[in-house]
Amino acid sequence: MKDYFLYWGCSLEASASNYLTSINAIGKPLGMNFHELKDWNCCGASISYIGGTEMSVHTLAARNLALAEAQGGYDIVAPCSSCYVILNRSNREMLEDPELMKKVNVILAEGNMKYSGSIKARHILDVLVNDVGVNKIKAAVKKPLKGVKIAGYVGCQSVRPFGEYDSKEAPVSMDTILQALGAEAVKFPSKMRCCGSGIFLTEMEKAFDLIDRILGDAQSHGAKIIATACPMCQMNLEAYQKKLNQAKGTHYEVPIVFISQLMALAFGLDYKKDAALHQQFVSPEPYLKSAMA
Amino acid sequence: MNYKQNFAQEVYDHVDSGESIKSCMGCGVCAISCPLTKHMDYSPRRVFAMIRAGQREQVLGSRDIMLCTSCYSCIVRCPRKVRVMDVMHGLAHYALEQGYVPRKDTMTFGRKFWNSIYKLGKIDETKVANQYMLADGLIPGIKKGLEMIDMALTMVLKKRMKLIPERPIKGVKGLRKMLDKAQEMEGKGGHK
Repeated sequence: MKDYFLYWGCSLEASASNYLTSINAIGKPLGMNFHELKDWNCCGASISYIGGTEMSVHTLAARNLALAEAQGGYDIVAPCSSCYVILNRSNREMLEDPELMKKVNVILAEGNMKYSGSIKARHILDVLVNDVGVNKIKAAVKKPLKGVKIAGYVGCQSVRPFGEYDSKEAPVSMDTILQALGAEAVKFPSKMRCCGSGIFLTEMEKAFDLIDRILGDAQSHGAKIIATACPMCQMNLEAYQKKLNQAKGTHYEVPIVFISQLMALAFGLDYKKDAALHQQFVSPEPYLKSAMA
Repeated sequence: MNYKQNFAQEVYDHVDSGESIKSCMGCGVCAISCPLTKHMDYSPRRVFAMIRAGQREQVLGSRDIMLCTSCYSCIVRCPRKVRVMDVMHGLAHYALEQGYVPRKDTMTFGRKFWNSIYKLGKIDETKVANQYMLADGLIPGIKKGLEMIDMALTMVLKKRMKLIPERPIKGVKGLRKMLDKAQEMEGKGGHK
């Protein structure tokens, strides 16, 4: 068993509760021991620039990193791409720039905290592919998702800007996992296109274009299900589908699931209790029947 | 058209990551990489050129500087390593500070979001969404709410919406002190 802090972030407590349930379910079969990062704070997300500055965003990240250092020093695993990118980026910038690290520590001292730079902030896809590994994932599969055509949608912040664990422009880790589960990983050109992130709430019309392209692309390349590893991607592609159909006259009814939900199912765990797949807007059940039988 | 000769210097001095545009050679890779360029009046490349030209009013009042989704495409592809996304964010923050309102809804949402972090240490998704909808008063709020009601109801039914208000994190007081200090230390803006 390897120890990690699971930094679940604000989304996984609410709109992406199905993500959290399924991640906790796959931890044990894959030898990942998740610890709660006690008293974590929000990362600031993509919209933090309105109210905050670069320094205040560093502060939000550094406080979480400092907590991890004080609570045992394990790697932080962020299932949310936005949390991951912010924690990781601040961490890297502080390590590259000792002056910045010093300044941030002056700020942390206001709350009697300090950070030395010993923590790694990682995305869940990275940990699944590089720590757990494909062989272990394959070995855990009890009910392969045989023949299910799934588009592995990676989106923006899972690999950009650093491409630390996968290609920035043509990543493979999501497809590697899908194939390990026995599914057919559909190739589609919009794999890395932006889902619209937080602008959905404020600029819905413009965001429609973005998800229309991703959904249409995945579908025309044969995908029945789209898998993601980001709560924002999941939410935008799924919850706004109906509105997109109404606004543009499209007829999408594509289930959008988290990769961990598919893993839980393929590991033979419970559809509801562990995979939490009953919580999707569009049920993937018709396509996953063979695996469930 | 208004020109302010030293506007570029103002950006270097007061906008987060502003100095990074010194490296911009105007190739436009950011503009073709940005998923929102087609909805912009200019583009990141043109905004940078306008900064150099001293078009202060047009830049700080531009709706383009507040449309970024933070997808990092521009940052990854810029051959000169300009922090395009960060400059756009910095410009938006600075414009708001200077009394410009490039996009009112985005400003409102962003401020409610930041307030939630400052007050609780985290985001109360339900509360932030409600506050955002009701920002213009009850009637427009109800109208906005009705447009979203089926989605909200599905979220509730699927147990993906918190109905109990979020409680502050234990260390919220310390966090606020840190955020205040961050604002005080960094001359370039601060939270509102």
